[in-house]
Amino acid sequence: MRIRSVIVAAVFIGAAQASPALAQPQSATATMTVSVSTSAKLTISSSTLTFADANPDLVPQIAPAQGALSITAKARATDNAQVVLTVQADDDLRSGLQVIPASAITWTASGTGFASGTLSKTAPVTLGQWTGSGSRTGSQTLAFRNLWTYATGTYTCVLLYTLSGP
Amino acid sequence: MTTPRAHHRRRAGCAIVRITAVALTVWLQASWVTAQKLTLAVTPSTVSFASADPDTTPTIVAAPITVSVRVQSNSGAWHLTVQANGDLLSGGATIDATQVSWTAAPPPFQNGTLSKVAAQPIASGTGNVNPAINGSVVFRLANSWNYSAGIYSQTIVFTLSAP
Repeated sequence: MRIRSVIVAAVFIGAAQASPALAQPQSATATMTVSVSTSAKLTISSSTLTFADANPDLVPQIAPAQGALSITAKARATDNAQVVLTVQADDDLRSGLQVIPASAITWTASGTGFASGTLSKTAPVTLGQWTGSGSRTGSQTLAFRNLWTYATGTYTCVLLYTLSGP
Repeated sequence: MTTPRAHHRRRAGCAIVRITAVALTVWLQASWVTAQKLTLAVTPSTVSFASADPDTTPTIVAAPITVSVRVQSNSGAWHLTVQANGDLLSGGATIDATQVSWTAAPPPFQNGTLSKVAAQPIASGTGNVNPAINGSVVFRLANSWNYSAGIYSQTIVFTLSAP
């Protein structure tokens, strides 16, 4: 009987060592959320543009003393929405009672999505247009059409740049 | 006065009892030794990233979560991983899961970057972890102007396994 008890015990030990009870992998989940709000940020390298006096015969198009404007338009819009950058003059160029039409100022542009145009006081003119969110950088080189017909004086107006999305 | 036959019967009965006792003891010991147990808990079960200006907040930091790990009756290695079920989704817009990384402490918890294609290690060790250890995990999102506006969501899965 002693021999039988030893054999039985050995069988149990052998069985226990041969097939250990491994636990199943345990899982836990978490929900990750990200909130992205619509927003826009516009940066222009200079807030002042100065066109110096010049001989119209020699300089028919006057470039601003500040050179080309560097523009960065950053926007977060809904998926595939249109993002538009416009510029508009608040009025014609004025010097007292003297007036030079805002359309005397034109520009060329470089950079993806940027476009050339002519300034207007009546409607915003598109300077850039893109689809969806992103940060876009370009340059705008303005020019003033120089004519002998302008009365002497110092003319000013305000240009309003607007970056918008839906 | 017992007869030899009765004496033999009594001895046989004792032997059967002894066999049963030994077998039961061995079975209980074997069961106790091999009953591996893994326990995993994540609290809270939400990880939220608030909207922020990418220029001023290039990395958005979520509130820390606690990952609790307990490993019992284990003689080999154990691993804790995390994996995203997919990219972060908001309608048709996506933020790649790899834009999310984490820092974790104390050791054996480790830093990493989230993936939707493969489980990433977040802690590992050998043997038992008893009592449980609590890891503080802070998820971080690389912020970008390129993200479309919306509320993005995705499930991340923590898995504790051994071996």
